[in-house]
Amino acid sequence: MTDTATAPVYTGVDDLRRIARELLEAGDVRVIIGWEAARRGARPVFVSDPAETDKLIFDTRCVHNLVTYLNPRRDHVAELGKIALVVKGCDVKAVAGLLRESQLGRADVVLIGVRCGGVLEENELPAALALTPETVAPRCYGCDNREPTLTDHLVGEPQPEPPRPVMTIDERVAALDGQPLEERWAFWTEQFGKCVRCYACRQVCPLCICEQCIVEKTRPQWIESSAHPRGNLSWNVTRAIHLAGRCVDCGECERFCPVGIPLSLLNRKLQDIVRERYDYTVSDDPENAAPIGDYRLDDQQEFIK
Amino acid sequence: MTDAHTDFEPRITAFVCNWCTYTGADLAGTSRLHMASNVRLIRLPCTGRIDPLFIVKAFERGADGVIVSGCHPADCHYTSGNYHARRRFAVFHDIMEFIGVDPRRMTFSWVSASEGAKWKDVVNEAVANVRELGPYEAYRALAPEAVELEPSGHSGAEVAS
Amino acid sequence: MSRIGVFVCHCGENIGRTVDCAAVAEALKDHPGVAVAEDYKYMCSDPGQALVKKAIEENNLTGVVIAACSPHMHEKTFRRAVDQAGLNKFMCEMANIREHCSWIHEDKDEATAKAIDIARTIVEKVKHNRPLEVIKIPVTKRALVIGGGIAGIQAALDIADGGHEVVLIEKSASIGGHMSQLSETFPTLDCSQCILTPRMVEAYQHPNIKLHTWSEVEKVDGYIGNFEVTIRKKARSVDEDLCNGCGDCQGVCPSKKIPSEFDAGLSNRTAIYVPFPQAVPNIPVLDRPNCSLFKGRAKGLKKDACGKCKEACLKGAIDYDTEDTFVTEEVGAIVVATGFKLYDIGRDQPEGLTGYGEYGYGEVPDVIDGLQFERLASASGPTAGAILRPSDGTEPKTVVFVHCVGSRDPEKGMSYCSKICCMYNAKHAMLYKHKVHDGRAVAFYMDIRAAGKGYDEFSRRAIEEDHAEYIRGRVSRIFRDGDKVKVWGFDTLSGEQVVIDADMVVLATAVRPQDGVKELGQKLSVSVDADGFINEAHPKLRPVETNTAGVFVAGACQSPRDIPDAVAMASATGAKVLGLFSSDELEREPAVAIVNEQTCIGCMRCELVCPYGAIEQREVCTVDGHVCGHTAYVNPGVCQGCGTCQAVCLSKSVELQTFTDEQIFSEINALCAWE
Repeated sequence: MTDTATAPVYTGVDDLRRIARELLEAGDVRVIIGWEAARRGARPVFVSDPAETDKLIFDTRCVHNLVTYLNPRRDHVAELGKIALVVKGCDVKAVAGLLRESQLGRADVVLIGVRCGGVLEENELPAALALTPETVAPRCYGCDNREPTLTDHLVGEPQPEPPRPVMTIDERVAALDGQPLEERWAFWTEQFGKCVRCYACRQVCPLCICEQCIVEKTRPQWIESSAHPRGNLSWNVTRAIHLAGRCVDCGECERFCPVGIPLSLLNRKLQDIVRERYDYTVSDDPENAAPIGDYRLDDQQEFIK
Repeated sequence: MTDAHTDFEPRITAFVCNWCTYTGADLAGTSRLHMASNVRLIRLPCTGRIDPLFIVKAFERGADGVIVSGCHPADCHYTSGNYHARRRFAVFHDIMEFIGVDPRRMTFSWVSASEGAKWKDVVNEAVANVRELGPYEAYRALAPEAVELEPSGHSGAEVAS
Repeated sequence: MSRIGVFVCHCGENIGRTVDCAAVAEALKDHPGVAVAEDYKYMCSDPGQALVKKAIEENNLTGVVIAACSPHMHEKTFRRAVDQAGLNKFMCEMANIREHCSWIHEDKDEATAKAIDIARTIVEKVKHNRPLEVIKIPVTKRALVIGGGIAGIQAALDIADGGHEVVLIEKSASIGGHMSQLSETFPTLDCSQCILTPRMVEAYQHPNIKLHTWSEVEKVDGYIGNFEVTIRKKARSVDEDLCNGCGDCQGVCPSKKIPSEFDAGLSNRTAIYVPFPQAVPNIPVLDRPNCSLFKGRAKGLKKDACGKCKEACLKGAIDYDTEDTFVTEEVGAIVVATGFKLYDIGRDQPEGLTGYGEYGYGEVPDVIDGLQFERLASASGPTAGAILRPSDGTEPKTVVFVHCVGSRDPEKGMSYCSKICCMYNAKHAMLYKHKVHDGRAVAFYMDIRAAGKGYDEFSRRAIEEDHAEYIRGRVSRIFRDGDKVKVWGFDTLSGEQVVIDADMVVLATAVRPQDGVKELGQKLSVSVDADGFINEAHPKLRPVETNTAGVFVAGACQSPRDIPDAVAMASATGAKVLGLFSSDELEREPAVAIVNEQTCIGCMRCELVCPYGAIEQREVCTVDGHVCGHTAYVNPGVCQGCGTCQAVCLSKSVELQTFTDEQIFSEINALCAWE
């Protein structure tokens, strides 16, 4: 690979801290949710004191999709008052999703966008690292929202494209598509077999917002709750279908999965499906209606007799 | 492959809409169009009501194949249910294929109330396809043991109250 | 505990021959939750129903499963019986072991095993049925009739005479339809206009009938008893209240060369016109695309190119600046009576049809269709009733009548018989012979369909009294030869080819549905069949209803038919509508969706997919009035029970009654008990 290492710390951090401080001082916003440095990489931080806004950072360690805190089921966060959220281009697409689904009013949140050039796949080391094909999060490659529009403020200079990972997600999806059916079945049943049904993927997803998740419904119990491959298959397939046309590819579900199920492959496949069939790409424009729930008279139906 | 399955009778669950396919199946009956006996119909008001969860559950419960059938586009009794079903099932079909489920186990069709003959063909083709593919052991093997639900003597309404 | 009664019907031999009904009942006896299982020869008969009622009372049944024919056949019957026995009728379901089992399988073992499965599945479903109550909705006792031909007029009159208001809309400038174009009607040779015009006037003057001509249906919302129809009243350019029908405007109009639709292209009309002298209302319309003034405006001319009609109008009724307007009518029932048009044999065809190149694609002079012949024969037509060739105005001495042009012809895309052509061809042959005594009338036919009252006798008259020559065989080619029309045909009874040098040929072209019917159907959620005719609810027993409750159908728009059948059908729809209006409240099946507001998060994807706009978003407030969220709400009066909302709800926070998740889940589970 060519030398495509990008700077580990992004520009605009000073502006980020200043804007955060000004918002808190003005009194309208009660808490800033952003990232701070930690012993291992970075972590989310809730800042409500203007004096503490210097904690806020933005660098390649800032992998977390903070939009998960806007999930209306998190009453305790809503009780803190009006929030200003720091968002990367991928993250803010989830805000558009919440707006589309009436979970949020645009005026309810202040969005501080950051111009991002990619984040690390592993966020374990104290210092920020430059991105290389080996260290970059594969989902960053091909990012289409490095200049987010759904923001109230936008800091930082435009960053170069994230480097190409050793193997892109699209390549891995294509490799799977190229395999015979039985091999794909063996692959996925093995992967889903590892699932322990911790539902971390669901808990972190900013768009998993149901008051009572379908998997917790017992009357009737559509999805078996035992952690055996049959129930796990049902859970993972259902999760995928619920996210078709909604998933913003923030990668958090895969990052959170304690047993390393490659959910990014499923998510990317979902995007391919709605793009190829319905010419739909998830964006940060709330007016861009989701493909499921919409239809056209000439929708594809080659699989229907 | 075919030899091993010569005495295998596929079990196929069909989810059909009341106004078109169910009525088309009635017409097949009125017209005495004989067909394979492996299909059991579950009546829904509209394909719009059909959830992918139904299909997953059918496979879990022992179906070797499923059929989903409803009104032709523009003819839905409820105007647009089948358009929504069409998108929903396109996504479901593609995801299942990606996961490694053979799409030939799932038959999707538009059969109108006047297409008794087409229903017969859909049934016979689905049965033939699934017979060739064999019993869906791979799916059933996912669980440690097949869970046989004993039908209970209680009605749901009673248990609730 | 569930105490379900299972009743297995033999349906005489229909089920009993292939399914061992006693064995089915026996097998169901052991099924958990089943209190009693019996079989009987004819469950739907009085004794059969009595058996069910007795079992309900004696066994305190909580649910009933009738394993018999399709629910489309007898669900109502059995639910009524169950209701009479004091059990909530929604606790009764049918297991279809006839159409879906005994009638489609031969092997008795297979069919019996399948019947047991089907019955068990429905028993499991019924365990989750709930004792629902019907929903009562008010009925707007006004009707809409779409189409002002004889069928539409008859339906409107019957409903209006029954004491209810009718809105009658017609897309052309006058009511009357094709019947007003006919000269005489079979089998009586009554003058068509003479019997029609009184009806037209009666409809126009009836206090209960509101007429909108030059109007079309724009949009239909709502449901039976409560439709809201938006009607587009196209810009007439003439004020209907001011115009007195004097006709001066037509006299001064300089655009005189527009083919008259009423005369089927055989004469010309002006741009501002009344379609025919007896038009109702007798108020002209201005055909803007063919008007010099409007053509000028379209080109951007600053000064209007004409204005003669407005100048000539002493009532000041003409206004060039009117636009289409929209009127909303609230009605409880709709009758579709859009009639028919004739197949055009030209090159330009809609998908699925082929033109008649063999007969010249309509480009051979003096080859006309049935409606054109009617205009020639008509005393008020372009030739004042004389049969004359359109090309040179001479009297034809040999006229060939060709039956089945397009009809009964799968190659042209129309497999059906158009029903009326054998009769009107006989009529045309007779009329021709009455007017041209030394003329020769030759008819090429396949079969003679003269099944109505007096029809066969009428048909024979053409041959026996008026000496029309009937040749059984088809015409293979028609083409111009000098100033004659060459007809190549075949006489199957003699086995010989026939060549005729005709002066004129009349083609009995197929009856087709009117333009725009498919789109109108979509607005009404009413389907059309493969040939484009409106679908009736049941071909035998429900010929004037459609599958959309509250929408009825009359006349040729459902399938080709003659005037007496159209009138009968129209009166039948009148009876249906008056029946609908006979009570103030309509009972609706409680198959509606209900939102669980505890789990609903108000994402409103249900609202997006509801075809009826039955779902709205509501605020959820805390006790002190602070809005803390949203939830969806389904209006039970509007919901039609499709269930699409439930399938798109990610958390299943909305349940469609009568097809709940628990019911469907239990049916899927029951199917795993296959052996």
